[in-house]
Amino acid sequence: MSADEWQIVWFTAWVSALSTIIIVPFGLGIAWLLARYVWPGKSLVETLISLPLVMPPVATGLILLKILGRRGAVGGFLHNHFHFDVVFTWRGVLIALGIMSLPLFVRSARVAFEEINPRLEQIARTLGAADLRVFCTITLPLASRGIVGGMLLAFARALGEFGATIMVAGNIPGKTSTVSLAIFQNVQLGQDANAFRLLGVSVVLAFAAVWGSEWLMRRRKR
Amino acid sequence: MGLLLKNISLPLVPFTLQMDADIQARITVIFGPSGAGKTSLLDLVAGLRRATSGIIQLNGRVLTDVAQSVFVPARQRGVGYVPQDLALFPHLSVRQNLLYGHKPGIGHNHLFAFERIVEVLDLQTLTQRGVTDLSGGEKQRVTLARALLSSPRLLLMDEPLASLDAQLKTRIIPYLARVRDEFHIPILYVTHDRYETLALADETIVLADGKVAQMGSVQDVFGHPGNPAVPGSLPAETIQPGRILKTENDLVTVAVGSAILTAAQEQLPAGTGEAYVCIRGDDVILVKGKEIFSSARNHLPAIVLSLTRVGALMRIDLSCGFPLTALLTKQACEEMLLKPGDHVTALVKAPHVHLILR
Repeated sequence: MSADEWQIVWFTAWVSALSTIIIVPFGLGIAWLLARYVWPGKSLVETLISLPLVMPPVATGLILLKILGRRGAVGGFLHNHFHFDVVFTWRGVLIALGIMSLPLFVRSARVAFEEINPRLEQIARTLGAADLRVFCTITLPLASRGIVGGMLLAFARALGEFGATIMVAGNIPGKTSTVSLAIFQNVQLGQDANAFRLLGVSVVLAFAAVWGSEWLMRRRKR
Repeated sequence: MGLLLKNISLPLVPFTLQMDADIQARITVIFGPSGAGKTSLLDLVAGLRRATSGIIQLNGRVLTDVAQSVFVPARQRGVGYVPQDLALFPHLSVRQNLLYGHKPGIGHNHLFAFERIVEVLDLQTLTQRGVTDLSGGEKQRVTLARALLSSPRLLLMDEPLASLDAQLKTRIIPYLARVRDEFHIPILYVTHDRYETLALADETIVLADGKVAQMGSVQDVFGHPGNPAVPGSLPAETIQPGRILKTENDLVTVAVGSAILTAAQEQLPAGTGEAYVCIRGDDVILVKGKEIFSSARNHLPAIVLSLTRVGALMRIDLSCGFPLTALLTKQACEEMLLKPGDHVTALVKAPHVHLILR
């Protein structure tokens, strides 16, 4: 593999991992609120979070492009005040991956929270534990399988993301090109050998992610 | 001192839980059918639910006062809770479960020291194990110990023995009695089991459809049931404190009032002790006349005190050295020409004299 290809693989792996790490605290908070409380606007938030799952990724990417572009509400503000650009940079890739994989993580975490017997948390409170301690020592450990599973799903989704990424970040070699984008481009240009090498790498990455999480779960169970 | 529940109300489906009680006894049993609001009552005291009105005070400290918007959160109430499903933390070891609420060095901790509680409840061999492979009785004891280790000022127990079979129950009850005697904290004990009530209760509150149907000692509550809907309460039953004098070949000699009874009961520990003597009204046979030859072990000379109609039957209250209640058909009473003041002999077979150790 060429240095350029290694760069693409490395970039894809770390930007996917970073997007997964960033969505975890948000996702846990949202999943917790959805699982345990009834509040006004709950179904609206539920729908908004799930939209990227059901909409064509390219459409989600277009929305992000419009919001985050230099003429968009958020992107314009960032550019004018901080000279900070999101679209067509690695930050655009990061946001596209995060938005696309968030619903998968929230769903897994929510189910995991809902499966915990609330009595366990109540009893922990009667034993003198404050809410944060209950969450960290009872809720999180009991939901950990679902949370780790959700993180794996989110990471896998991020590794393979295509539509939203190409809209928000383009396919700039050495800057925003990911494995999926590069495979597509190589096939378009008739460079099948390059495409197959990257294909092999994505298979290895996927195996490593699945095995890694299985190993983590087994360790937890002991 | 004690637990004060004043004008408590909590709407439930399909009734409203209402409660007014000043609880001073060591073990107060909340007795009633499932769905009577027993668990909700414990949740209110523990601070896991909010009443819509009322005051809850523990040893003079206000825990809930709806009118004054006082609500002490569950973690600050000092109330130990043993829930029905036991709720042991499945991801923690027995030791970690036990220590979850333990605050060494705070308050009256010498009483609730780890080593002491582990010893009282016989948990020495369990502490290194995981909780998922414990037996029912072991889980029960670990949950109880976990609650005690949080140095509670009140212990709530919600049908803690419901999932155990009868034999295991008789093994666990002595542990509960030890907790009652050693830790000097009031216990609110919810059950729909007569046997547990008789074995443990100092006071009994009968709850039916969210309301107090009856309150008093076990003798009062079971001997004179005020609410026929209460499960396990019989239309007529004698429940009297007695003292076991000796046990020989499964035959137990027990003193009740000024009478001596013979009971046949297996699996009773040797030696003497206090017990409730329970005789169902329909297990009592009344005989008039002098010469009696009967296989029944207990022949009790008695005087008829009163006759009361109970549905199709007659309840006969007798005095035979202790208050005894018999349940006869109306026809039998008429044929025997029974009336207050009559001298009769009450016959009770030894297996019909049930002993519940205290």
